Formats: sequence, C-alpha cells, structure tokens
Amino acid sequence: MSKVSEVVTKADIKPKSMHRAKIWSDDVENLYRFQQAGYRDEVEYKQVKQVDEVECWPETGFVKKLQRRDNTFYYYNRQRECEDKDVPKVKVYVY
Amino acid sequence: VRGPPPAGSIKPRPAKRTAFRKFYERGDFPIAVQHDGVANKIAWKVEIENLDYHYFLPLFFDGLCETEFPYEFFARQGVHDLLEHGGNKILPVVPQLIIPIKNALNLRNRQVLCTTLKVIQHLVVSAEMVGEALVPYYRQILPILSIFKHMDVFHFLDIMTQENEFSIE
Repeated sequence: MSKVSEVVTKADIKPKSMHRAKIWSDDVENLYRFQQAGYRDEVEYKQVKQVDEVECWPETGFVKKLQRRDNTFYYYNRQRECEDKDVPKVKVYVY
Repeated sequence: VRGPPPAGSIKPRPAKRTAFRKFYERGDFPIAVQHDGVANKIAWKVEIENLDYHYFLPLFFDGLCETEFPYEFFARQGVHDLLEHGGNKILPVVPQLIIPIKNALNLRNRQVLCTTLKVIQHLVVSAEMVGEALVPYYRQILPILSIFKHMDVFHFLDIMTQENEFSIE
C-alpha cells in the first residue's frame, strides 16, 4: 500500500453502524461527553485532534477535558453528568 | 403602644453593577458564547490550568450577585469549572474570595443565597485546607445566615432543592 493511501486510510476510519444507548454505563458516559463536544467518540477525537491520549479523571476514568473543533475547551465533572433522560440521545458507533 | 416598624433584615437588597458584568461585556473573560453548544457548559478559550486564579477567581465570585441571564449562568458555571479544576491554585486565593461571598450573601436574595451556599460547599471540598482557611472569616460570612434562622425552614429548603440540587444530609 502506498504511503499516501495508508495515511488516508488511518485518518478516515468511519463506523459501520450506529445505535442509541439504552442504559447508562461508563462507556455511555464518555460517549455523551465526546458528543457534547461535537465528536462521534474517542476514535474521531483522536483522529481530528491528532492526540494519543485523552485527559481523564483518575478516580472515575471519565473524560475530563476536550478541545472542540473551534479550539475552545470543555471541562467535565469527576462524577456522572449524563442523566437517565439523556441516555437515549447518546449514539453508540460500531466499527 | 405600637411596636417598632419592621427592620427588613430579610428583605432582598438591590444588586449593584458587578465587576463581573463589566468585564464580561468588555470581553475580558476567556469564555466563548456558544450558540450551538450545550445548555450547561462554558466553552473556555484558554485552558483553565493556564489561568491566573488570583485575577479570575475573585472576579467570577463577584458574579455570584448576578441574577440575570447570561451573567448569572456564566458566573455560576465559571466558578464551578474553576473550582473543579483549580487544584492547589485555589488555596492562596481564598482570602480574596471573602468579600465577593459576603456581598452575595448580603443581598438577601433567596436565589443568590442558594447559589452562594452551594458554591461555598464546593469551595471547601475543592482543595486541601480550604475549609480550614475559611475559619478566620466565619465572623464575616456567618452572621448573615443567622438572620434567616427563623425563616420557614421547609420553604427555604424547597427553594434550595428544587432548582439547585442542594442535598441535605
């Protein structure tokens, strides 16, 4: 595979399907946080922002800080932010 | 013989124009107004870790006196974010927070009182030794709360729990 097409493939990973979350979990919480910041999930965030790690709260593992596409920052709480009524709005992507 | 007229000790006072409002309208705060963002989040233009807390934290606390949108929202949410992510930068600034806290409590406005009490709760757990650092200032902060001790407790608790998720333990 040529270097150009290799770069394109790595930078263009798209999900195959999507469904809505039904019950809350740690993963749903983090998806909620990524989607609040305007990203599909951690995969897209790392692709767009070209970072290897996402800053998380050590105690809970939830996302702590994200940089939006306009380069402003969203900060998130140590504890759960996604309420039960928000869970059905969370999109879960399958690769 | 008629009794003395009411002193109006629990009557809300009018709020003066805050420094927070002045700085906000001047665009001095590193916060972005989001029209497409979420309803309860501030977008920060600068990472909070790089902010001068000696300058910004007292200013945001000054905004606790505000009751109008968007000033009230940005002050409350800004204080929350700064306390949540301040770490050891908060303790040295505690003495500068007393006057804004006192000003907010002295308004006797129920909504401002609830918000300020919640902020004080957050402040004391935001970093180590902050609670102890507040002790010398109790005599400036606590007297205003004693004015409300004879109020209908259930009505007051109602206000506090409904809109501010204030938990009573």
